[in-house]
This record gives sequence, C-alpha cells and structure tokens, in this order.
Amino acid sequence: MGAKDKVWEVFRQEAEGDPMIHGGSVRAPDEELATHYAREFYGRRQESERLWIVPRDTIIELDDPDLLKPPFDRSFKRPGGFLIKHKLEAARIRAGATGAEPIEELGE
Amino acid sequence: MTVQDAASQTALAELLLAMADDEFVLGFWDSEWTGIAPILEEDVAMSSVSQDEIGHAKALYELLASLSGEAADEIAFGRAPGAYRHAALMNHPRTDWAFSIARRYLYETADAVRLESLAGSSHEPLANLVRKMRREETYHLLHFDLWLRRLTEGGPESRDRLIGALRDLWTDAQAVFAPLDGEEALVAGGIMPDRLETLRRRWLDRVVPRFAELGLPPMPAAPAPAPDGRRSHGPDFEWLHGEFTMVAASEAGASW
Repeated sequence: MGAKDKVWEVFRQEAEGDPMIHGGSVRAPDEELATHYAREFYGRRQESERLWIVPRDTIIELDDPDLLKPPFDRSFKRPGGFLIKHKLEAARIRAGATGAEPIEELGE
Repeated sequence: MTVQDAASQTALAELLLAMADDEFVLGFWDSEWTGIAPILEEDVAMSSVSQDEIGHAKALYELLASLSGEAADEIAFGRAPGAYRHAALMNHPRTDWAFSIARRYLYETADAVRLESLAGSSHEPLANLVRKMRREETYHLLHFDLWLRRLTEGGPESRDRLIGALRDLWTDAQAVFAPLDGEEALVAGGIMPDRLETLRRRWLDRVVPRFAELGLPPMPAAPAPAPDGRRSHGPDFEWLHGEFTMVAASEAGASW
C-alpha cells in the first residue's frame, strides 16, 4: 500500500430497486483506481447492478453511547412498545400457568 | 453470410486462431502476476483481466471448432508450440511490472482497433462475438491506459522502465497486424472489413499521439510487421506452453 492510498467503502446493489448494502472496502490512491478496484472486488462476477464508492474519511461516524445507548429503558420508543417480558413472566406465575392460553409476547 | 469458398474458410480459421492465441497466451503470461502484483487490489484486477482474456480465447476457439469440427480444448491445449499463431508481442515473459503494463497497453489498443473493425464483419457469428468482447475490452483499455499514465508520472525509475519496455516491444507489437494467409479473400468477402495494414496505421494514429501527450519520447520508426510475425516464437513461449499444457497433457483424453 502506497503512502497516498486511502480506504474506500463500497456499497453494492444486487438488483435494480434493492437497497445498497455495504460490500466491503478497497485501498486506492484516488477515485479512478478506487472505481476500478471496486469493480474488480464487488462486480467482476456480474453480481452487482450498481456500486457506490465512498472515501471512508468522508463518512461521519457516530458511536457515542450517551447518544446511542443511554442507560434508561427506552423500549417504549420501539414499534412494539414497552418491553413487557418480565411483566408477562410475573403474570404467568401469578396465574399458575396451568391450562391458560400462552400469552403472546410483545416487544423483546 | 455463410463462408462458402474453401479459401475464405481456411483464411477465417487463420484469423480466429490468431486472435484466440493472442488472448490465450497473453492471458497466461499475465496470470503469472497472481499473488505477486504490486498491491493486493491490483493483484485481483490483473488476475481478473487475464481470466477475461482466456474467456475470450475460449469463445474464439469454440467458434473455430464449430467451423472445423475439432474440439475447442484440443485446439487450445493439443498443439505443439510451433503451431500457435499469437503475435511476436506475446513471445516475451512477464518480466517486470512496467514491461507487463507496456505490453498490455500496446496489445489492448491494437486489439481495440481490430475489434472495432471486425464488429462490422459479414460473418455474423464473428461479428456477434466481437461485439460482446468489445464491451469487456472497454474496461481493459481504461485500466491499462491508466497504468501507462501512472508509470509515466510515477518518477524517473518507473518512467525509464516503461520507456525501455515500450521500445523493446515496439517492433513485436506491429506483429499483431502481421499479414494473414488468405487475407485478400477475407477482405473481398467482407469477413474482414479492413486490411491488417490499414488497421495497423489506424492503431499508430492513436498510440503515437497518446505517447506524445504523455511526454514520452517518440518510438523508433515503425517497421511493417514481418510476414512471420505470428509464426516464430522462441524458448520463452516454449516454457510457457509447457506450463499451460501440463495438466491437459497429464492424462490425454481425460474428461475434466
């Protein structure tokens, strides 16, 4: 790898209309070679309809746990609502869990 | 158009064999970079492009086989070294990276001119195959023009090595357009829309200005290709032939 090489992230689309999915990365000094190498690594077997080739250093990364995983139960923000697994377990125990219909779980 | 007269039939077989052997032999030489190319990405690229050429050779051998009734594998692997018809440009070993790039550039540009012309062949099966090959060769041209430029701009060592290789290969590169037995019959019937010498001039009109544009020194005056430009091969090719026929020769007639 030359001193001027950069890393490029490559996204590929398998068929027209499919979402772009991260395929992997290549190293290259500039857009031109990055395009050639992306073609070789993620398209030479005719497996891609389209590629997106993005310099890694233009990607904005967010991994701050205070922003992404705050230490409170925020499961009510999910489509399935509150996490009620533990409440359901407690309810089953109270009901003796005999002959009762299984209670469908919501959330995780 | 069906090829009716015997002279055209023989000449068409010569043309197909010349093209197929060019692609086949170059594909094997450059496959030798697998595992040792300058960078990992280029290693994959060079190997992939070399496989493309062997794929083109396969298609051409199959077309030839359909005319002659032989088996394509037999044509590809069953001949003695002296029966191969690749141009003298393909007689040289891989050598260094600049040498391989110089040869690739000379070949890809020459092949592009040849394929452009043959896309208009009156022999439909050939015209169809050539049209498919051209779509893949577009990328090959881009890739090796890019490398030619980079070696030119890459500092004195890469530039000097590139210039040395271009000069060493210049005469043998003309042999891609070496006259073919029966060429007149092919041109008369429209199987070849242009004479090889016309194609050679067309090719020179492209590569000579490109070299000037990149600040490369002029090549020596281009001699017309020798008539045996596709018939004399030498020890380096004999070695390569031993390599690429080794498996096929290990059990003659085996089905793979």
